[in-house]
Amino acid sequence: MSLAAVMPPQVGQKPDPGQRPVISFHGVSKTYANGCEAIRDLDLAIYQGDFCFVVGASGSGKTTLVRLLIREEAASSGRIFVDGQETTRMSRRRLPKLRRKFGIVFQDYKLLPKLTVAQNVAFALQVTRPGQRHLKEKVEETLWIVGLEDKLHTFPDELSGGEQQRVAIARALVHRPRIFLADEPTGNLDPDTSWGIVQLLLQINHRGTTVLMATHNKEIVDLCRKRVIAIDSGRVVRDEAEGGYLREGEATI
Amino acid sequence: MRGLLASIRFALVAAGQNFTRNLAVSMAGVFTMGLIMLLVGGTLLLTHTVDAILNQQEAQADDIHIYLQDSLSMRTIADYEQRFAHDPRVNGVSFTTKDEAVLAAQQRGLQLQAAINTLGTNPLPASIDLHVRNLTDLGQFATLAKSLPVVDTSSGSATDYNPTVIPRLQTLITWTVWIGGVLSVVLAVISLVIIMNTIRTAVYIRRTEIEIMKLVGAGDWFVRWPFILEGVFGGVLAAAFGVTIVALAYHFVLETANARVYLEVGFDGPYLTGLVVLLVVFGAALGGFGSFLGVRRFLHA
Repeated sequence: MSLAAVMPPQVGQKPDPGQRPVISFHGVSKTYANGCEAIRDLDLAIYQGDFCFVVGASGSGKTTLVRLLIREEAASSGRIFVDGQETTRMSRRRLPKLRRKFGIVFQDYKLLPKLTVAQNVAFALQVTRPGQRHLKEKVEETLWIVGLEDKLHTFPDELSGGEQQRVAIARALVHRPRIFLADEPTGNLDPDTSWGIVQLLLQINHRGTTVLMATHNKEIVDLCRKRVIAIDSGRVVRDEAEGGYLREGEATI
Repeated sequence: MRGLLASIRFALVAAGQNFTRNLAVSMAGVFTMGLIMLLVGGTLLLTHTVDAILNQQEAQADDIHIYLQDSLSMRTIADYEQRFAHDPRVNGVSFTTKDEAVLAAQQRGLQLQAAINTLGTNPLPASIDLHVRNLTDLGQFATLAKSLPVVDTSSGSATDYNPTVIPRLQTLITWTVWIGGVLSVVLAVISLVIIMNTIRTAVYIRRTEIEIMKLVGAGDWFVRWPFILEGVFGGVLAAAFGVTIVALAYHFVLETANARVYLEVGFDGPYLTGLVVLLVVFGAALGGFGSFLGVRRFLHA
């Protein structure tokens, strides 16, 4: 099945003039303790409702960008704003509140193997909003969105890779985050399953959630024609509103 | 309020689930900790018992018997008794007749009847027995006794004072207390290191869980509490294990020892109760603190 047949390319959303970015980087650099300079003087603005692909070779700084956003790493210099709040000088005490603005998925799913699908999803609410009312309904509704309403009591190791990633998406989505971060979410999946995951992310974006997806998947990026931020050696080398994986005319080896 | 109750419930349930889901690792930790508790408890109890025995020996050692010649009149003996009774260094004075000396010797297991039959007379002297306030004064009374005209030196000595016993006893008590104390501290330090590593292993197994909790925005204390409670629970279990064996061994050893040798040291219930409380509190604190340190590493990673 062709990816294009499943979902035709869509036109990216353009920000309203004067709209405040939901995420912004101002001259951000990150140098690790071993001297590796992962991000260099990076400036970036992402608006509410954007769907952005962050592309680049391995080691280009994509994952560091994601980790800086959720303050898993502290910037060496520069300022980062999320939802109008500067996160670079945020105290450890305030980090949980910052992270609740995000829904995050990774290449390796990070599911708890001894919990069922429903328990994995509920876990995110139990640890952030203890005593949450209608927990069961929220979990079931979220699993319905990701198409796993019939797998509530299944354990992760009984699911396919694509299904496991859907559970991870449901867990990231259950608290209704404003921003969805996906770090190589299709890295372990075959093309068809990958496309299913991207469709899901597009649906989430259509519901108003900002989506930032770091990926290597050329086919998906080329088909979606969404905003593309290309990173090389920690610098933004290209930022196109409706771009492809490579610059037009650029060829891969 | 609803949120707080739910948080407490979550921490308790998660602690219980963590413990049971990783039962093998949890029990390995409890067993290791329990062994250390057993050693710490055993050392403390042994030190206490040896200390009690030695103190009893010391209490019995503050008596000196001044041997008297056979020919003395009761009036002379009473005069000397009076003189010693007025000495501020003396706590009590009594008189032991020759017959009472034989009885006391027989009670200590000495067989004197054959000697008495051979000699045709009781060879043991009567004595004035002084109960002194300080053990260090015993030497002065022994010297004084030698200068008295009424003492019997036929056995080669005017008293039963042995100048080497008391210092040895006191040295032994000091050493016992020191060795027990140092051993307990060393065991406590070793246990802390072992427990920290055991708990780190247990926490390492659950690093994904901690990572997810952090990523979805759980607060640091929300992440810590289940692990700390689990550590406290493990510590209490370990202490219960250690203390039960120590108490049973204490009871058994004392009964056996008292049946074979008359130690005059009874089962010290209040000390054992104190030890149980101490070890349970120590175990809970150690388990909780070890978990706190173990999780801290992953929280700050």
